Amino acid sequence: MEREVHVGISGEMRSPSRRRLLWQYLASMRLAVSLLVLLAIASVIGTVLRQQESYSSYAFRFGAFWFQVYRDLGVYNVYRTVWYMGIVGFLVFSTATCITRNTPRMLREILEFPVRQRESAIRAQEHFLELHSELPAPVLQDRLLFLLRNSGYRPRSESHDGRGHVAARKGKFNRVGYFLTHLAIITICGAALYNADVPVRWSEWMGTLVPETNFNMPLTSIPHSAWMPLHNPAYRGSVTLPEGDTADVVFESAGDGYLVQKLPFQIHLKSFHIKYYSTGMPRDFVSDVVLYGPKGQILKSGVVRVNHPMSYDGTEIYQSSFSDGGSLLRMRSFLLGLPAMAAGKLVGRVGQTLKAGSSGYSISLKNFKMTNVVPWSSVDGHAHPGSPVINLGPSFIYVVHTPQGEAGEFKTYMLPIHRDGQSFFVQGFRETRGAQYTYVAIPAGPHGGISLFVDYLAALQQTLSGGASPTPAVLTQVFQQVAQVDAPTMSPEKQALFIRDSMLAMTQMHDYPAPFILRLSSFHHRWAASLQVTKWPGTIVIYWGCVALVLGIFILFYLPQKKVWAELRADPEGGSRLLLGAGADRNRLEFAREFAGWREALESSSGSTSTSVTR
Amino acid sequence: MANSRVENWAPEQLPNTHRTMRDTIFQGAPWGAALTLSAGFIVFRYGAQFGEWQYLVLLCWYLALLVAGSLWRSLQLAVPAVVIPALAAVWMYSVGQTPENSWILHYFLQGLAGAMWMCGLLLLATATYILHVWLRSEPLGRWATRLTWAGTLMGFIGLGVRWRETYIGHPSWGHIPVSNLWEVFVLFCASTSLFYLYYEQRYRARALGAFVMPLVASAVGFLIWLTFAQHMDRIEPLIPALQSFWMKLHVPMMFVGYANFTVASLVGLAYLLATRSATRGGALARAMPAPEIMDDVMYRAIAFGFLFFTTATILGAVWAAKAWGGFWSWDPKETWALIVWLNYAGYLHARVVKGWRGTSMAWWSFMSIWVVTFCFLGVNLFLSGLHSYGKL
Repeated sequence: MEREVHVGISGEMRSPSRRRLLWQYLASMRLAVSLLVLLAIASVIGTVLRQQESYSSYAFRFGAFWFQVYRDLGVYNVYRTVWYMGIVGFLVFSTATCITRNTPRMLREILEFPVRQRESAIRAQEHFLELHSELPAPVLQDRLLFLLRNSGYRPRSESHDGRGHVAARKGKFNRVGYFLTHLAIITICGAALYNADVPVRWSEWMGTLVPETNFNMPLTSIPHSAWMPLHNPAYRGSVTLPEGDTADVVFESAGDGYLVQKLPFQIHLKSFHIKYYSTGMPRDFVSDVVLYGPKGQILKSGVVRVNHPMSYDGTEIYQSSFSDGGSLLRMRSFLLGLPAMAAGKLVGRVGQTLKAGSSGYSISLKNFKMTNVVPWSSVDGHAHPGSPVINLGPSFIYVVHTPQGEAGEFKTYMLPIHRDGQSFFVQGFRETRGAQYTYVAIPAGPHGGISLFVDYLAALQQTLSGGASPTPAVLTQVFQQVAQVDAPTMSPEKQALFIRDSMLAMTQMHDYPAPFILRLSSFHHRWAASLQVTKWPGTIVIYWGCVALVLGIFILFYLPQKKVWAELRADPEGGSRLLLGAGADRNRLEFAREFAGWREALESSSGSTSTSVTR
Repeated sequence: MANSRVENWAPEQLPNTHRTMRDTIFQGAPWGAALTLSAGFIVFRYGAQFGEWQYLVLLCWYLALLVAGSLWRSLQLAVPAVVIPALAAVWMYSVGQTPENSWILHYFLQGLAGAMWMCGLLLLATATYILHVWLRSEPLGRWATRLTWAGTLMGFIGLGVRWRETYIGHPSWGHIPVSNLWEVFVLFCASTSLFYLYYEQRYRARALGAFVMPLVASAVGFLIWLTFAQHMDRIEPLIPALQSFWMKLHVPMMFVGYANFTVASLVGLAYLLATRSATRGGALARAMPAPEIMDDVMYRAIAFGFLFFTTATILGAVWAAKAWGGFWSWDPKETWALIVWLNYAGYLHARVVKGWRGTSMAWWSFMSIWVVTFCFLGVNLFLSGLHSYGKL
């Protein structure tokens, strides 16, 4: 890839063989620049389209025809397609060819630097001057040497046949920069390929390793063909562990399935917790972890935090994400239309599906969240300068299936929120996933809880089904009857407020898709942490490759190679003649100034003018 | 006889193309002494709390400032001009003064005030540079340079003080102010101006300011919008993923790269317009520096930016490896960094090895601004991924 200057072609011109042409093309600059630009353009694709999503979402977006076209092109996972890897591979191959081709020449250049240079070669330099002086040649030579030394060179001189030869250079090791950068690229790409699990990909391709696509299969029944060998040199998998659980495998995603990697130790998650800032923003995610050996001995224990992995014997364990690990929830179910006395009790863990009595309804507990920090404005629409967010406390999400199979999703907050002197329990529901939740604010009675509301609702339904019309007087009268039992101390103002808020809640509940309301009465929280385990022996090679790359770039740009050759001889007409040629391969503008300075100095010290050429 | 004439030949006659080691040491001595004293003071005062990392960081700063200050002597004044006011502000905070009860903090030294002064001064500087080229007025040019210096210094003072401010009232929030879009835009404006000043001074090419500074001015405009419409100047705690000392290395180095690439691309624009104007005998060509100079500025800026961009990308990859368990996840930001890297690797190969020059390379350099801007800003605004904390 280096600029070649051919000085004098000797011998007859031979037409280069086809192989030689190919060799030249592979190591050519034009190919390298084209490949760099092509790779850059190809890389754009993967950033414009989100990678590795489910096929169904792509199919939905592009339609059947284009979905297939894009899939065949590998657009959904560009960076692992054969053609992309091909471009990278070709670039590496071209770089390798380039190094092989240039190494002998460059080594020669570093090691050999002849003082004598042919006159034609001196004249072919980028900067050249010819100067006639009245001074004798040795004097002129001394001045030139003095000048070069003053410019920081260490010139050498020789004389042959009455001619003086001077040569000097700086940045002898500039070419080392070339080796370092180009070797670094090959090394980094090579180590990255190794880390990308080439042996595993290979056996996958050979068919000895088959990714499992059933994600609900218990570990013991996963077929042997989906297990990677214990002594796999490099892997990167993750495992989700509920608090108190232990695992000795990690799962690595492969295509639309996964592979299982056995670990040389067992990971036990003692506990997981989230630290918060005063704003309610998470500050840290911390897993307390113990590693056990195959005989049950403790190998290592400690915490795994974001940015602070745990390392053990060449493997690294990272805090990657977290979820609910099956929290125990105790709930009460209030049937709409029946008094609160009839409320049933439910107990279950997140992830389980419960039967709601003998009604045929089923309840799947989906998720539990300890804290819900939301902007104030989303609660009451007012701005609260100073404390822009509020913690709504624990919430849980569940899906209710009707006996007919219809589903609705619910989100229930455990603690009440306070607004305009009245407390409310917030209950969200939606009938399709991805839709916005509709929120119902159920007013809390003076003793807390929603019993007063439930009783009021039941009494109203009974009265109205008896044929009464819902006039304000009836509504108030029914409420007073209920309140006499449930909350006898309630003031008339509070009662009016409660009635108004109840009416609002009942309107909001018009589309409520279940005949009951679940309230969370207590919980025992259990986290699950996702830990990522990696083993990458190629890492150290990548580090050194990176060091070489940066060092090489520095050498290439900041230690340019400059070469100076001069020839001096006595002029038959008296005085002497100087031929000075010089060139630099970087920072040419600066070097041109340096050369112009030399010319000036030589002219003024020898009292003559020169003819000079700059190409 | 002849030899004595050589010895008498006065070295002053020599062109000053090379500074000997002795010159460098002699000229750099006061600067080196000042740095050594400061470092010594820091070790003496805080050494008891230092671990090996702190010593390493101090050593890196010491060496970097020593080299940078002796290569560009204006820095020898600029560094104290930033550090002293910033330390003064830190001291004022420590004795209980706040922007509410101290007008100096309120109007000049608090982080926000520093950034706003930077905005105003850089906008003024931009206008002055344009007038300088338009009217061919040297005094205006000198004023433009002074204004740019003042704006840059205020920007860095503001960032320095803000670093301290992140700790005030909530010590656990403290972080280097490069964590959100507002903070990095202050850094971008200040560092682009700083590197521009370097090239201006080194090449005595003041007219370039009329091309480089308008981009800084538009970044300033965006920053003002972020401040007043988005209130992004508010100090917020760091998300867990960003709590790492790697951020202190990765982000600032990235901005050395971005700043130099930006300068190079706008010099590319200046080159294109000036050469076009030259063929028509226009006035612009006479106001601008010679094309070879602009070509060299472009190359120098790209080479320097490339060195830092490469280092910063590598540091980012190492951070990712340490924090998330993988060097490279093909996250959009990573991929775009790779695209920028490949683009400039192509440029440098073509320029250095093939020796390409002139209009085509100026076009290449100029068009690269779109790639760089997309990497810096577009990815955060339009794409999602691991770097999504840089969002609006």
